[in-house]
Amino acid sequence: MKRLGAWPAWIFLALFFLAPLVALIPEAFDGQGAAFGRIFADGLFWGAVRNTILLGLLAGTLSTLVGTLIAIELARQPEHRRQWLMTLLGLPLAFSGLVIAYGFILAFGRAGFVTQLLGLLGADSARVGSWIYSVWGLGLAYAYYLIPRVALSLYPVFANFDQRPLWAARTLGATRWQAFRDTVVPEIAPSVFSCACLIVALTMGTYGTALALVGTQLNILPLMLLTKISDGGSDFAGAAAMSLILMLICVIVMGIGDVIASRSQKQVAGIGH
Amino acid sequence: MSLILDQVSYVYPGTTHGLTDVSLSIEPGELVAVIGQSGSGKSTLLKLVSGLSTGHTGSILLNNEDLATKPVHLRNIGVVFQSYALFPHLNVLENIAYGLKLRGVPADERRRRAHELLEVIDMTPFADRAVTQLSGGQQQRVALARALVINPAALLLDEPLAALDASIRGHLRDQIRQLQRRFNATTLLVTHDQEEALVMADRVAVLKEGRLLQLATPKILYEQPASRAVASFVGLSTILPAKVLATNRIDLGFATLAANTGSRSAGSAVFALIRPEHVQADPAEDTPNRLTGSLGTERYLGSFYRYDFNALGADTPILAESRTVAQNAIAIAPEHIRLLDH
Repeated sequence: MKRLGAWPAWIFLALFFLAPLVALIPEAFDGQGAAFGRIFADGLFWGAVRNTILLGLLAGTLSTLVGTLIAIELARQPEHRRQWLMTLLGLPLAFSGLVIAYGFILAFGRAGFVTQLLGLLGADSARVGSWIYSVWGLGLAYAYYLIPRVALSLYPVFANFDQRPLWAARTLGATRWQAFRDTVVPEIAPSVFSCACLIVALTMGTYGTALALVGTQLNILPLMLLTKISDGGSDFAGAAAMSLILMLICVIVMGIGDVIASRSQKQVAGIGH
Repeated sequence: MSLILDQVSYVYPGTTHGLTDVSLSIEPGELVAVIGQSGSGKSTLLKLVSGLSTGHTGSILLNNEDLATKPVHLRNIGVVFQSYALFPHLNVLENIAYGLKLRGVPADERRRRAHELLEVIDMTPFADRAVTQLSGGQQQRVALARALVINPAALLLDEPLAALDASIRGHLRDQIRQLQRRFNATTLLVTHDQEEALVMADRVAVLKEGRLLQLATPKILYEQPASRAVASFVGLSTILPAKVLATNRIDLGFATLAANTGSRSAGSAVFALIRPEHVQADPAEDTPNRLTGSLGTERYLGSFYRYDFNALGADTPILAESRTVAQNAIAIAPEHIRLLDH
């Protein structure tokens, strides 16, 4: 293994990441970029961009918020209980997007048992039952498996958090809340924010759960892309152009997260013990 | 401001050990050091005074006010931690001014007072630096300034020098002592380093397994320790089991020596404490308390030698320090043999 070095990884990356990417570029720019002109002129495309970003922000914010709270709680647990909780949290990560989508339909769909229960309480089951097929409902389904992801990736940040500056703040006259605001928040905010960016980018590119849950009723970029190349569609140039745009949006979001994270790294590096 | 601990006891949650009946008082402006090995409870004592730990019995009085119900942020006690515990996202000046900001001091005034402290710790050019760019010694000076700027009712130092290199420890030790005197801060210093305690403190408390063994000035602690435990913890020594033979005469098993037995009756079991600097190398034949034997391990320490001397018939060597090394005899003047009862 040592003699091969990182070569297998590089070959894998070249074959399955770079090559498809490179193949996209001439496809998208075929005919002096006519494909870009075509999709930019399409009102549906702009609607999809808007919905995609909205979905990303919605699922990203919700997942980060809840996931962070769980991470804090995880870090405070004794070792044995933490192991147990982490295994439990890991479960949704292992489920396929399809399974999750069907689970949500069975629970919150038009004939779902939660919808029926709410109907018994007087709610309009037609409205409740269609809510799950909206951007909001899809955001909630995404959050189902993104929350554990946030919690598990942020938990080390809280577990390794140096509490002593917090104590110092308390002795200097800070209330619990002031000490938290002045020492914990500035320390962990970059990690939380960069994790949120990754989650937002992930959400915007996902399509499995979306397809299973809402079919192509909901206008978001990944589903629009799918319709361009599946069954009836054959606009490969348009699909390639949209892929590049979707990728660009995701790269920008993740780039922002990376910049924030590396900045805080630089600041913390060199803190003496 | 005086700090008084009266019969303070504390049990670590889920265990049976902690602190037992610790009483000590620190006069205004006095520096009292608490020394003990790790696990002796000295850091717990400091946490209880600062309020970072709660649940003790007995009372802790600061300026005659019981701290039991006062939360940590209202105690106005400055704490300096071993790990500095500076705020990494704030610069040097902001770190120092933090306590003033919490007290609602206007920005201009905050800056002025933080700058004053910076000057006192000799770090004026570092005002706008990130604390992460400072050396350990500089970080600890900033931490000290941050604790002093709020005019604390008491100052607690938790192993303030333990994380630093030996080369700067001595210098910072003197600087802390100067500042403590200048601010007339009532100070509790916790350390495992007995030398640090002897050099810095007005009085030293020795803590073992949660109990206070002795509280005295460094000189008394060294010269008149109350027990073997204190003697072995403070300074180097040889402690030999002995028996009182008659008034001012003791039996070490391998030799009999003259020593001040006080009011002890013949037959009492005691321990004889001998400090290494009181061992005389190769004394004249007629010197009292002369022991013959041979030289053991010898260590050259520059200005003096520290060596083991194996007295004839003795199981344990006697530790000695002098400019020359004893080849075949040593002597200990009777007034320098101190007897301990336990």
